[in-house]
Amino acid sequence: MRISVEINGRAHEGDVEPRTLLSDFIRHGAGLTGTKVGCEQGVCGACTVQLDGEPVRSCLMLAVQANGRALRTVEGLAADGELHPLQRAFHEAHALQCGFCTPGFLMSMEGFLREHPDAGDEQLREALAGNLCRCTGYLGIIEAVEHAAREMRGDQVEAD
Amino acid sequence: MTGRLAGRPLRRREDDRILRGDTRYLDDIDPPGAAHVAFVRSPFAHARIGGVGVPDELDGVTVITAADLEGRARDLPVQGIEGGRVASEGHPVLARDEVRYSGQPVAAVLAESRALAEDAAELVEVDYEPLEPVLAAGDSEVALSEWRRVSGDVDGAFESAAHVVSASHALPRLAPVPMEPRGAIASYDETDDLLTVWVSAQDSHRQLAGLAAVLDRPEESIHVIVPDVGGAFGSKGVVSPETAVVAAAAMATGWTVKWAEDREENFIASYQGRGVEADVELALDGAGTMLALRARIRADLGGYLMPTTAIPGHTTAMLMCGVYDIQAADVEIMGMRTNKVPTGPYRGAGRPEAAYFVERTVDVAARELGIDPLELRRRNLIRDFPYETALGWTYDSGDYVRCLELAEELVKPERHSDDTRVVGTGFGMYVERAGGMFETAVAELLPEGRVLIRSGSSPHGQGHDTTFAQLAADRLGVGIEDVELRFGDSKEVPRGVGTFASRSVAMGGSAVVLAVDALKEKLRELKDPPPGIRASARFESDLVFSSGAYAAVVEIERSTGRLRVLRLVAVDDAGTIVNPLLAEGQVIGGTAQGLGQCLVEEAAYDEEGNPTFASFLGYSLLTAAEMPPVEAAFVESPSPLNPLGAKGIGEGGAIGTPAAVANAVADALGGRRVDPPFTEEKLWRALREAGP
Amino acid sequence: MKPAPFDYRAPASIDEALPLLVLDSAVLAGGQSLVPLLNLRLARPELVVDINGIAELDYIRAEDGALRIGAMTRQATLERSELVRERWPLLHKAVELVGHPQIRTRGTVGGSVAHADPAAELPVALTVLGARYRLRSPRGDRVLDGADLFRGPLYTAREPNELLVEIEVPEQPDGAGSGFAEHARTHGDFATAGAAAVVAPEGHTAIALLGAGPVPARAEAAERALVDGAEPREAAALAARDVEDEHRRALCAELARRAIEEAMA
Repeated sequence: MRISVEINGRAHEGDVEPRTLLSDFIRHGAGLTGTKVGCEQGVCGACTVQLDGEPVRSCLMLAVQANGRALRTVEGLAADGELHPLQRAFHEAHALQCGFCTPGFLMSMEGFLREHPDAGDEQLREALAGNLCRCTGYLGIIEAVEHAAREMRGDQVEAD
Repeated sequence: MTGRLAGRPLRRREDDRILRGDTRYLDDIDPPGAAHVAFVRSPFAHARIGGVGVPDELDGVTVITAADLEGRARDLPVQGIEGGRVASEGHPVLARDEVRYSGQPVAAVLAESRALAEDAAELVEVDYEPLEPVLAAGDSEVALSEWRRVSGDVDGAFESAAHVVSASHALPRLAPVPMEPRGAIASYDETDDLLTVWVSAQDSHRQLAGLAAVLDRPEESIHVIVPDVGGAFGSKGVVSPETAVVAAAAMATGWTVKWAEDREENFIASYQGRGVEADVELALDGAGTMLALRARIRADLGGYLMPTTAIPGHTTAMLMCGVYDIQAADVEIMGMRTNKVPTGPYRGAGRPEAAYFVERTVDVAARELGIDPLELRRRNLIRDFPYETALGWTYDSGDYVRCLELAEELVKPERHSDDTRVVGTGFGMYVERAGGMFETAVAELLPEGRVLIRSGSSPHGQGHDTTFAQLAADRLGVGIEDVELRFGDSKEVPRGVGTFASRSVAMGGSAVVLAVDALKEKLRELKDPPPGIRASARFESDLVFSSGAYAAVVEIERSTGRLRVLRLVAVDDAGTIVNPLLAEGQVIGGTAQGLGQCLVEEAAYDEEGNPTFASFLGYSLLTAAEMPPVEAAFVESPSPLNPLGAKGIGEGGAIGTPAAVANAVADALGGRRVDPPFTEEKLWRALREAGP
Repeated sequence: MKPAPFDYRAPASIDEALPLLVLDSAVLAGGQSLVPLLNLRLARPELVVDINGIAELDYIRAEDGALRIGAMTRQATLERSELVRERWPLLHKAVELVGHPQIRTRGTVGGSVAHADPAAELPVALTVLGARYRLRSPRGDRVLDGADLFRGPLYTAREPNELLVEIEVPEQPDGAGSGFAEHARTHGDFATAGAAAVVAPEGHTAIALLGAGPVPARAEAAERALVDGAEPREAAALAARDVEDEHRRALCAELARRAIEEAMA
């Protein structure tokens, strides 16, 4: 089946089988390998992208379902090449080590923070539970997200 | 450490391209026209194989069995242990007439895509004759490894001791679960007789050595390239059977062959950690001085010895005196064959087991003798270094007293019991071996005064690039942006040992520093040094010994048995710390794995030997929502054994945490034995038995 | 793993979908339950019928006091609905606990019901609320209550040629309070046990356990006891009494107690 999917503002066309997963189309069809695959069960969150701005597990969608839709992946997060506050916060807080889970966290939390700009710390932790990390132990990630949330709200942000 | 850069919490240079999604892990590499591999794996824990039948209708697909690899691939090699016996039979790359664990690779199917390869794999007919599996080390009659050391008058000490304390412990198997599963791509150039292999691995060296041994080729004829690696934790160290099959398949077919492991395979077929039981006896005098220790340790090694399967058990045995001045010891470990996936090094690799067995026993002793657990420890801590243990290793430096003191100060012990909950506090000290052997580096002058360092170490998330650049830039007196690092490509980096056993800063970092010094020496003699000048270094050292004291406060809810870790303190002594931000990251990460072991992780097989952990539904990992507050602190007892004074920090979190949490749980339960994971069911029952 | 091969159709209406529903077809709604099964090859349909394009199945509205939810309503939509939060708060509490936000973006109310996982939050909450389920086939509609729909773990009375089209939730009594408590190994993991309760001042009580039996079922003895003035703890113990394992029984009783107390607060 021939599909056309808009990813980060650009149209990507390809031939897929019905069984081709969206994650595989993004990575091997469109060649955007920033999105990772960790389980193909919807648990680890490494494959998280945004469909019409909302975080979804790309391993749990068929590529054909994205035909004519708009996706955003980690490659599209930095606007005009400038890192998003969340990306900067991850860097500052040492919230990444091997980096494999990082794109999934970024796409999940960018969406979450947009929809819940006033989320409290407990709510943030619960939202973070949708992405697994085996390297960092999460505390740096929590710090990064809390910091980014404050910055995105326009709060006074302390210099670290 | 005080340098311009070393000792400072610099943020990582590695981060930018990761954050932008500009990384290349193994599966991101898409060689056009590659053949994709799916493995036919045994569904039985133990079975004879009568034959492998490939149906005629499998067009466009190639099936490779052990018969096809006869004369092309040998069994994986097996590493020995010092002073012990290890069986020589290694893991076959593909099963011949027997399978010994569920998930063992039996055949490889090559097709245009992974999906097509899986379709074809379902049609391959393997004639299995199921056999009764052996699923507990205690039921096994085959010892794959044995080691025993008796030192000092152990029997005499036990006979004359005022107190003899016994405690038994069991640690279940754990799955490493790196977020990126394993994988390899191989391509063979017949004209040059060059085999190129990309592999998600901890370093190129061991892959190179393993492939050379399995394929019986000289190392120079193999080019190993390690791309970005999404975590390993010990599970991507030695060459895997699957990687060897991919390489052999590329050579046999002339195609580029790719295997990208999926999560299910990673759970069932990647070697596991822990899986050990111990009976420990401690002899003490009336004042609580430890006189002697006996330990009988039994490891559940799995169906085959992978190259490093016997090593963690040996490490556990060697560390059974822990941080204590115990002059007499009798320690024996037997590694038994079972019908499960093999075990091997997994973060901590023997040290968490030793810390657990020793520290739990010390707490049992404290309770039996009526001495405060911290006081009992203080009476017996090693204070003078270097210290040669009864078991044979020499601890280079340390300040165990200070670590314990700091842990106690930071954790603020708490003990409480009422109708709804109990609260307990526990401590766990550890000493662990790091570094050792040698490591290499080459420093090369680039144009405009920049320097390229080629390192034998290899990163999988630890931040080698930034850390080594800090060291080199300081040594050279240049900006960090003028130092470039190269890792992981066997044709680009000097042959080294690799990344495991927390050795990178102590060994790799020292080699970097020595290579830089050698380069400076060469440059000093030249007026206008042209780019291209190189200097190399090979740094060799005995083992260094990191140590620490962890402490935990836990709460158990009576109505459900639910365990909450209220707070955790991690005091680590890894000698000189080069980048405290990254070092703390290693501690927290290790702690999360240690907590996982305590709370939710267990790789259990059912009564037929089928894995119950084939997906995240059967094997849980902690999420951000479960992490307690963790306070990390460092004590720095520099090691005299390397120019940096560094030891290793990569595994302490996984080593100290289970011992501390287990002691806290035991404290809350009034001393009742519970083995990890500390599930609600176990704790609920224990609390009911213990009474109010 | 990659899925086994299948054919695919994406009908734009219920009428277009119905003829496609046969024994070897699988309905793809949110995909959060079906696709993992496809990816493990545990589900191997010949045809996947993707109903995400059927706009007429996506709605939440109150009609004659009852709540009507189209089967394709996303769990996230349910979560955001002010109408549901105000008048059927138990549903809001339950859906907030379903998996993670990314799951709820795609997962649907109908999908959760049709999948009938005994550890799922929505079926047990809907059972407590007395929901009824409309199934449509080429022969017409039938409406089942929960006891008739849920037949076993991952098994409902829906015939292969039927499509779940709507969930109807009756009006709740005035002043009814609700409570939902669950327990999972890690946050967002499948619940190991849980309880939902609705308690109204004039005596209406509904309690059901999650993960305690093969299907969500009302704990009628517990409900009667509570109406008769029993303490929440006693009623909770009654609700859990048939749970075999000692620890699970204690866990279910504790969660039921919390749910009941929350509903009575």
